[in-house]
Amino acid sequence: MRRAFVILVVALFGLVFTSLVIAHSERHSLRPLAESYVKLVPQELGAPNVITGILLTYRAFDTLGEVAVLFMVAAGVGLVLGPSGQRRRSSPRKAVGPARPSSEIVQSGAQILAPLISIFAAYIIMNGHRSAGGGFQGGAVTASGVLLLVLASTRYRVDLEFLSMTESAAGVLFVLTGIAGLIFAGGFLDNRMLPLGQFGAFFSAGAIPILSVLLGVKVGCELSVIIDRFRA
Amino acid sequence: MAELIGSILVLLGAIFHFSAGLGMLRMPDAYTRMQAGTKASTLGNTLILLGLGFYHPEWSLKLLIIICFVLMTNPVSSHALARAAHMIRIPMTQRTTVDALRATRQRRRSGK
Repeated sequence: MRRAFVILVVALFGLVFTSLVIAHSERHSLRPLAESYVKLVPQELGAPNVITGILLTYRAFDTLGEVAVLFMVAAGVGLVLGPSGQRRRSSPRKAVGPARPSSEIVQSGAQILAPLISIFAAYIIMNGHRSAGGGFQGGAVTASGVLLLVLASTRYRVDLEFLSMTESAAGVLFVLTGIAGLIFAGGFLDNRMLPLGQFGAFFSAGAIPILSVLLGVKVGCELSVIIDRFRA
Repeated sequence: MAELIGSILVLLGAIFHFSAGLGMLRMPDAYTRMQAGTKASTLGNTLILLGLGFYHPEWSLKLLIIICFVLMTNPVSSHALARAAHMIRIPMTQRTTVDALRATRQRRRSGK
């Protein structure tokens, strides 16, 4: 009975996916909207990476909203899990016992890997306007480095005050850059307030690298705070 | 010629990945599954990236960095996972004969 049911479900899934595969036809030309973006971003913004151009200029206001959502997530997690002092008294910690120190392999691995991860994060953030990458991704990689450090050493403490200060500063600077775009160029977060530079060069695409860095710092700080909140 | 070598390396890597998947399905407990998944997929990744390096020689530096990174991270992470599993006493298969980690820990505890 159970087996027959499983076979039925698998057959139904097969039917759904087969119909999807049959109905799929490859699109040989871009949609009009996509085509205009692909043409406009390298021309107007001087950024080889179309996605970053869209995210940090045409749709930069949405990006600001996304960062705000992430900030609210961090605040919500903090609210639910509480400050560390309160948690220690009423936590299920006693049942679990004190945190086990991680093994030597993990500790020395973290010592080698943490700098590498940080460098990789910086690379991703700084190359957002040229190839795949950008502030969000780089910030997530930074936070994964922080997670590694937290896992490797029970004594490692994330400096929450420093992180929230840095994060707020990055957020304020992001908005200020946006207002500068309003004053010196065409609109809020317009990247053409700085010279576009040579197409594809490291310093190019106007204000996009600056916005990328600010975004990376902000996202990295927020995710690190969230990770620290989940520490048992 | 370079393309042929590259293809053979990628194929070898795919075979190792296949054996990793097979090991995940066929091994009896968490630890053996973990070692099948880690060892075979580390080697498979390395071989595939090497093969890609033969295809695109201009990528070789980046590929080498990725290989180093995988070689550093994969064993460490699976070690940490296996150790955590051992700590919370996830059972081993009946056929296990040697448990060096438990023996060491018991010796250390009695030594104190």
